[in-house]
Amino acid sequence: MTLAVSTPAPRRLYVEPRTLRWILGLILLALWELLPRAGFIPSLFLPPLTETVGALLANAGDYVRHLLISLRAIGISMLFACGLGIGVGLLAGSIAPLRRVMLPLASGLYAVPLVILYPLFTAWFGIGPESKIAFASIYGLLPCFLGTMAGVQTIDRQYLVVARSMRATRWQMISRVLLPAAIPTVLSSLRVGGALVIVGVVVAEMLTSAEGIGYLITRYRTMLDSPRVFAGILVVVALVFAFDGLVRLIEYRTRNWRLSMRSGEPRN
Amino acid sequence: MAIASPQKSMSANGGPSAKSPLRVVASAPGAVQVDNLDHTYNVGGRVTKALEQIKLDIAPGRFVVIVGPSGCGKSSLLMMMTGLVTPTAGSVYCGGLPMTAPDPDRVGVVFQEASLYPWLTAQDNVEFPLSLRGVPKAERAARARDKLALVGLKGFEDRYPHELSGGMKQRVSIARGLVQNPPILMLDEPFAALDEQTRISMGDELLRIWEQTGKTVVFVTHSLTEAAYLADEIIVMSARPGRIIDRIDVDLPRPRTYAMMSTPRFAELRERIWNQIKTQAGS
Repeated sequence: MTLAVSTPAPRRLYVEPRTLRWILGLILLALWELLPRAGFIPSLFLPPLTETVGALLANAGDYVRHLLISLRAIGISMLFACGLGIGVGLLAGSIAPLRRVMLPLASGLYAVPLVILYPLFTAWFGIGPESKIAFASIYGLLPCFLGTMAGVQTIDRQYLVVARSMRATRWQMISRVLLPAAIPTVLSSLRVGGALVIVGVVVAEMLTSAEGIGYLITRYRTMLDSPRVFAGILVVVALVFAFDGLVRLIEYRTRNWRLSMRSGEPRN
Repeated sequence: MAIASPQKSMSANGGPSAKSPLRVVASAPGAVQVDNLDHTYNVGGRVTKALEQIKLDIAPGRFVVIVGPSGCGKSSLLMMMTGLVTPTAGSVYCGGLPMTAPDPDRVGVVFQEASLYPWLTAQDNVEFPLSLRGVPKAERAARARDKLALVGLKGFEDRYPHELSGGMKQRVSIARGLVQNPPILMLDEPFAALDEQTRISMGDELLRIWEQTGKTVVFVTHSLTEAAYLADEIIVMSARPGRIIDRIDVDLPRPRTYAMMSTPRFAELRERIWNQIKTQAGS
């Protein structure tokens, strides 16, 4: 609203991006309902919104049960991917020899479509949660690791010189300077890595699995039960939105931090 | 210590420091001595001589400004005096003890960029060196508040660095340098990144703090005006390899005022420094 007031050209119609986003979303939802109803799209390909939501509500118990199974796998994989990725990224970022060994390996591996390894994972770990977790962990770990490592290297060296002038110990340098200085980078790695973990779990479930939301979608797809397929997709979309909201919340909590970093604190 | 120094610190050319015997002065907490310091860089097999035969004798409570053309190694010299960098040869003594590593209890350091931690408030930034030593929370909060008030930032304790102006950031940085009550404060071109008005008023602020606390101040700058305006004694350095080519006792009365900058004496001082540096930088 404030922007609308301060815009110099008063004739121009100004719509806030936020409002525009909502309008676009509503239009899409309306099309989702209307296009299949009007017969423009066969409802096998796109069942109307109301039918999809109906299918979701009718089988709510099923969806919730499988969603919880997926969530558990996602949670554990996040711990591995983000914890290990960020931890090792911090180390490799601050220790040059370690970085020289790991960087080519990690970035090479990152280019491989890891999904081709999934059949191996099921052979090793079975079709239970273990293989999903192993796959999603590795899938999300690489961007976390690469992002954190790159971030640590962009930290202003002067921060460390200042700490040294105060006679900080090596451990204090890492815990009191390096770690907090790396937070903004860690956050953006978390965003990418976390999203890939979700993708990893759902994809793994769709490929070979006996439970989970991805499995549910595949099962209904083979049964050509489009409303339930789309209901499953809705659940996954909601899951991703929830994750995004969580990251935003953390970002909001650390806004002072990131603001100062971006405004280039050293130079005035 | 690699080079034996037979004629230890006879270098300070007269001046007020001559009135007290050097040996006594040297062990006082605020005394700074640089003994036959040499420094060479070795970059990819190419050896560059950066500093040559630096000798300094700074009496406690003095305001000494080191000035020289850019690249003369004056900042490197200061980093060696703070213990952050080890010289190739020679040694630095602060309060009579060698500076082999940084020691915030003896020397507070202020850098060119304020170098505050952006994730900490002004108060927390000033408390930071104390918290590294495990000083209890209540005590370090009181001491930090005290120093922030000294630099004129009462009421700004909870601001983050990005909410402060360049001058204010440097004030916080000075407060941080003083929070452990070192007898010596060393500043590396602290006002170089500030605009001119701010630079002048920050100079006045620093003089006020100096007069109020009685610290020994070593101040590196490339500004002739700043040097003449602030100093008791100006050390003029040559271009690389950096050597001390002049020592000037500034006899302008204190407190210094803006009006002094337009006096003939001030112009003379500036000119004397300029003539030294010009012959170096002109080539």
